[in-house]
Amino acid sequence: MKERTVWEQIADQLRSRSIWMLHYCTGCGAMELPPTMTARFDMERFGIMPMATPRQADILLITGYLNTKTLRRVIYTYEQMADPKYVIGFGSCTINGGIYYDSYSTINRLDYYIPVDVYIAGCMPRPEAILEAFQYLMEKIRKGEADGWKRYKENYEWYKQNQIRSLGEVYVHDEFHE
Amino acid sequence: MTNSMNEALKAIEIFNPMVEEIDERQVKVSVGNDKLVSVLETLKSKGYSHLSLITCVDWIDDGQLELVYILFSWQDGGKFIVTTRIDRNNPKFVTVKEIWPVARFYERELHEFFGVEFEGNDDMKPLFLELWDEMPPLRKDFDPREYSKSKFPDRKYEKDVIKEAKIFRGEIDG
Repeated sequence: MKERTVWEQIADQLRSRSIWMLHYCTGCGAMELPPTMTARFDMERFGIMPMATPRQADILLITGYLNTKTLRRVIYTYEQMADPKYVIGFGSCTINGGIYYDSYSTINRLDYYIPVDVYIAGCMPRPEAILEAFQYLMEKIRKGEADGWKRYKENYEWYKQNQIRSLGEVYVHDEFHE
Repeated sequence: MTNSMNEALKAIEIFNPMVEEIDERQVKVSVGNDKLVSVLETLKSKGYSHLSLITCVDWIDDGQLELVYILFSWQDGGKFIVTTRIDRNNPKFVTVKEIWPVARFYERELHEFFGVEFEGNDDMKPLFLELWDEMPPLRKDFDPREYSKSKFPDRKYEKDVIKEAKIFRGEIDG
């Protein structure tokens, strides 16, 4: 890994204290987020806030399974986010497909298409596990190890080739938007 | 059965349906291909005006597809399940979008997942799947596992016996 300058180290320290989260809630994992956000577990005490738009967000939290239709939208969203950006794969569906491992439309592993910094195992992971993962991600950012966005740039060809292999075409054609 | 269900059954008796009572408020009615639309219209005029669902069952051993129309009455909560069987190799039927406009979406869905064609309904664009390149996926002879293997690569697991043994002995934290 490349040595970071002092300024980059300071920037990473500051970054880890204020991460805004875009949650891509297509799967059932969205259920665990309201208690994580609200008073019971209160993730805002770590400086993590829910954010509605990709341009302002730092984390992309992918809760649960992704099928080919939603994966196209995830790739769109991920590429719209500004650097530095981090991805958290939530639940066993993003790790190995979970109970949808033999589905005709659901992908089996997320890190084949976009780089993932932290995985949360479980079906479902409890809010404690989510907070644990956030802490781990903050630690990784401070050490400069959360470099998924750099890997995406370096290995862009490989990721693109995988995306095209599974999706055919990444562009979204939507009858409700055309 | 409720009173209105008995009345509705009496009204469709001329189409000689096969009636099967499922429970107090549900009746299954199986009719021939040519009579299905008339049965649906009669039931609609008798108060069963809400089309809850159109779906399909694949009877691969009989070589048939069973179309299922579920009608609901807001007067007493009764449900009519009207079914008919069509040929599996040449799955064609007539549309009911003139009776219920919402049916065109159900018919699109059936065309996508079972390959059934509905005459009179020209809008058969895919509704859920994008860039689908195989046979309709909810047919019984489609193998989703093979498709998943060919398209979506799995994660490979390697068993680390020594690490597992260390975890069992409590030397490292699993």
